[in-house]
Amino acid sequence: MKIIKSKGPEIFDIELEKDLLAKNKNLAKKNRKRFDRLNILTIDVMGSIGSGKTSLIKGVLKKLGMGKKIAVIAGDLTTTIDAERIESEGARVIQVNTGKECHLDANLIRHAISKMDLDGVEILFIENVGNLICPGEFPLGAHKRMVVVSVTEGPYMIVKHPYIFREADMIVLNKIDLAKAMEVNPSQLEKDAKKINPHVPFIKTNAVKGIGISKVIDALGL
Amino acid sequence: MIQGLRNSILQSLNPSILDQILTMHEFSISSEIVRTVLDATEKNGGEKVLSIQLEIGELALLNTEQVTFWIHELFKGSMAEGAKVKVKTIKARIHCESCGYKGGMNLDRQDSFRHVIPYSCPQCSSFQIKVEKGRECILRRIQAVKE
Repeated sequence: MKIIKSKGPEIFDIELEKDLLAKNKNLAKKNRKRFDRLNILTIDVMGSIGSGKTSLIKGVLKKLGMGKKIAVIAGDLTTTIDAERIESEGARVIQVNTGKECHLDANLIRHAISKMDLDGVEILFIENVGNLICPGEFPLGAHKRMVVVSVTEGPYMIVKHPYIFREADMIVLNKIDLAKAMEVNPSQLEKDAKKINPHVPFIKTNAVKGIGISKVIDALGL
Repeated sequence: MIQGLRNSILQSLNPSILDQILTMHEFSISSEIVRTVLDATEKNGGEKVLSIQLEIGELALLNTEQVTFWIHELFKGSMAEGAKVKVKTIKARIHCESCGYKGGMNLDRQDSFRHVIPYSCPQCSSFQIKVEKGRECILRRIQAVKE
């Protein structure tokens, strides 16, 4: 007699070792290779909301006067305001709307660069979403990472977010003309920055008036 | 598929809640995890997901509670609805370049606000530390059933 056993449900394990954050890092490496191949110096501009990331990029574009040899990827939640502001300086701009996301990631940048005409472009700025937390965790593949803060965010912005400042290759303190009105001591902010990341340039600017922009350009090696 | 799930969740939520919740990257990481779970289970002939095992580093800028919440939400309506989400914490290991300290970070495990953790050496408070372990977000195992 043959007994046919009903086969019950089979429970099994699927072993993976997938580091979800590593995925972004690998994509970032690929982006970097692509920038190297195209010979485009890429700069990730991170910083808090309203610290002056766009104004700083505008200031650099104006001073360099390189027109379409500079491209900008403008990350924003939903609007095109920043893209329009930058476009007025003559650079090529592509807008990346992240919707509800708080940062750009390497995959979004990969898509953006595949859609852009990068022929003849020498410098690419990537303006990240205003945020001092998440972008630090998501490298995009840029050669340099710059963090912009301003005195209007108060005296503790740097000590409160050590992680992103550690990741930075350059730190900019903007709206320096307002320090007195804000009762913020720029030297203390500089001390905080030097404690967290002593080896990178710390530059004070007033981006709207063009003050400190040449120092930014020098520090970026442009 | 995940896009559909994502959209249906977005639609079912109150927009004012959206602004508060979705501005952190736990949601995008969770979407990635859910997509990976569903793909891997399907590829292996599974029909239902019973549980998943995650390992999240102490120093990853991820709030475990939010990650778990979003995974449960995104699992709804799929073959992983109701699956258990187990999260193991990977202890941090750092190397301080200033004083030579090698070891953990003495973090309060109850503190879920990981983005405000002091990113400095527990021995000499220097920020010149190298993180050797503790920044991962690993999907280690999926337990599934086939009939």
